[in-house]
Amino acid sequence: MFDKGKINYWHLLLILVVLIAILPILFMVSNSFKTLRDSYNTMLSLIPLRPTLNNYLMLNRQVNLLTLTWNTFLMAAIVTIGKLLTGLLTAYAFRSYRFKGKMFVYLIFVSTIFVPFTIIMIPNYLVIAKLNLLNNVLGVALPQLCDATGIMIFLKTMEKIPNTLIDAAKVDNIPNRKIFFNIVIPILKPSIVSVGAIFFINSWNEYVWPTLILKDKASFTLPLALQNYISSEGGTNFPLAMALSTIMVILPLIIYLIFQKYILNSISTSGLK
Amino acid sequence: MGENNATIELKQISKQFKDNKIINELNLSIQAGEFLVLLGPSGCGKSTTLRMIAGLEEPTTGDVLINGKKLKQIDEDGHTVAMVFQDYALYPNMTVYQNLEYALKVHKIPVQSRRSRIEAVLKILNLTNYKNRLPSQLSGGQKQRVAVGRGMVKKSKIFLLDEPLSNIDIQLREKARDEIQNMHLENRQTIVYVTHDQLEAMALGDRIAVMDQGIIQMIDTPENIYNKPTNLFVAKFIGTPQINIIEIELNNGQVLFNNKPIMKPSTYKLDSKKYYLGIRPENFSCSKTERNEFSFEVMVDNIIDYGRFVQLSLITKDNEYLKATVNKFDFQKGETINVTLDQSTSIIFDQTTGKNLYWGNYE
Repeated sequence: MFDKGKINYWHLLLILVVLIAILPILFMVSNSFKTLRDSYNTMLSLIPLRPTLNNYLMLNRQVNLLTLTWNTFLMAAIVTIGKLLTGLLTAYAFRSYRFKGKMFVYLIFVSTIFVPFTIIMIPNYLVIAKLNLLNNVLGVALPQLCDATGIMIFLKTMEKIPNTLIDAAKVDNIPNRKIFFNIVIPILKPSIVSVGAIFFINSWNEYVWPTLILKDKASFTLPLALQNYISSEGGTNFPLAMALSTIMVILPLIIYLIFQKYILNSISTSGLK
Repeated sequence: MGENNATIELKQISKQFKDNKIINELNLSIQAGEFLVLLGPSGCGKSTTLRMIAGLEEPTTGDVLINGKKLKQIDEDGHTVAMVFQDYALYPNMTVYQNLEYALKVHKIPVQSRRSRIEAVLKILNLTNYKNRLPSQLSGGQKQRVAVGRGMVKKSKIFLLDEPLSNIDIQLREKARDEIQNMHLENRQTIVYVTHDQLEAMALGDRIAVMDQGIIQMIDTPENIYNKPTNLFVAKFIGTPQINIIEIELNNGQVLFNNKPIMKPSTYKLDSKKYYLGIRPENFSCSKTERNEFSFEVMVDNIIDYGRFVQLSLITKDNEYLKATVNKFDFQKGETINVTLDQSTSIIFDQTTGKNLYWGNYE
């Protein structure tokens, strides 16, 4: 496709795109190691003049990093597991049972994807308040335990499993529960991992909904704590905010690195037989 | 009825998908230990019939009885029926060994007897060296053997096979066919085998059921299916090259083809009218020189030498095409030769019903 003369131009373009993508992250990391004064004087320089860990230490004195991370992890984990489980079960039901109005029910599920969060925010809030789950990670997770995106993706992958495979198990009188866990789930593993990673990262970064539910500082997640450092009331300690951002990015980054083989694979093979 | 096998009975089975009637009041009874082949063109309902025996489809009306009982009542441990699918349907996440083991494990067969059963089957099918491979690391023939093996370890009384050989290379197909036949000779399960390949059907079946449009057109031994087809469909479906069907007229026992007698007058009483006469290609006598009172002239349009036999395409004076097979020949394309039809193997069909009238030519 490319001849040798052109290859360099394409690479230039790619390098440019990569730089644009990675620059904000480098900016964040480098500023988190600068002193407050250096940060204001040489904000754009990527290498700190006098590298310091002070920001991290100060952060550790001001907030309980461990609790923050644990809260965020717990919320993201519950949401991810919930979405995966309900998504897989619902998709399997759509895949294997014939019932009246199936298409209609499916369309209702899918149409929920197009309902903006702001519309269901208030009803959800009222329900959670009635359930006495304010200031509780469960309150954040509960309305998010099911997601039509997951149902849709899993159904599409399950449709690629040949019918005869399920039939073979049925002839052997394997109960449906075992067909689901022993045959369907293992086949779907790559897409479960990649969809799960995306769910996890999204939930990890979530801000608006948790701010409504979590008022007590002890129940804060990382994005909420970060808000305290960049809002008008949080002061202007910019390197401190960058340090917290860096901490916040670490776990999703590790998850992405571990599962990137699956994630890339599912992106590049989706839509292919 | 023995320990290894069971009878299957389909009683007045119909199957309808929405407005589409796939199977129409089908009756079929299969003896214990029999090897029955369901043969028919695609869409004739043979696979649906098999799936109903397997319990994968419920008949709209009618009953499937196994040893006189309904499948649901006896199949609690899942050991009555085993099925091999066209695309093998091996569990892709399990090794060969695990594939064979899975159903036994779910049904709580003890580890020891599980292992001995599986090892024995692996040995018979020459798969011992592959037992730790995943299906994706096997060739088509090996996958097919694993699929058969998965049925064998269950020691089922009934073995259902849905076109198990159609995805294998032709070179391996005959060998796989022999293996299936050997399995049947050794274990004597009841086998129902679906195929659209008539050679496979002829080679394997104790009996063949020829199906078309959801109806069993004929069920009999391979020999009778070939030589005494009950109707035009069966006659045309079985045999390559296809049987020749020509229009003849009976006139007081005389058999007239284009107003010329082509056979000895029949002693069998049939109305004097037009019929179809079926004659298989191998039942032609062709000669350049010899002629008799019943021979007629044809032009050789094409000659295909298959090595084993030679296939001739012939055109009559009235532009009808005939196919004949001969072993020896000394004519050229375009030449005119004399052919005589073998009366004892000819078949007369009614023109409206297509039924074989058995006109008294069989010994």
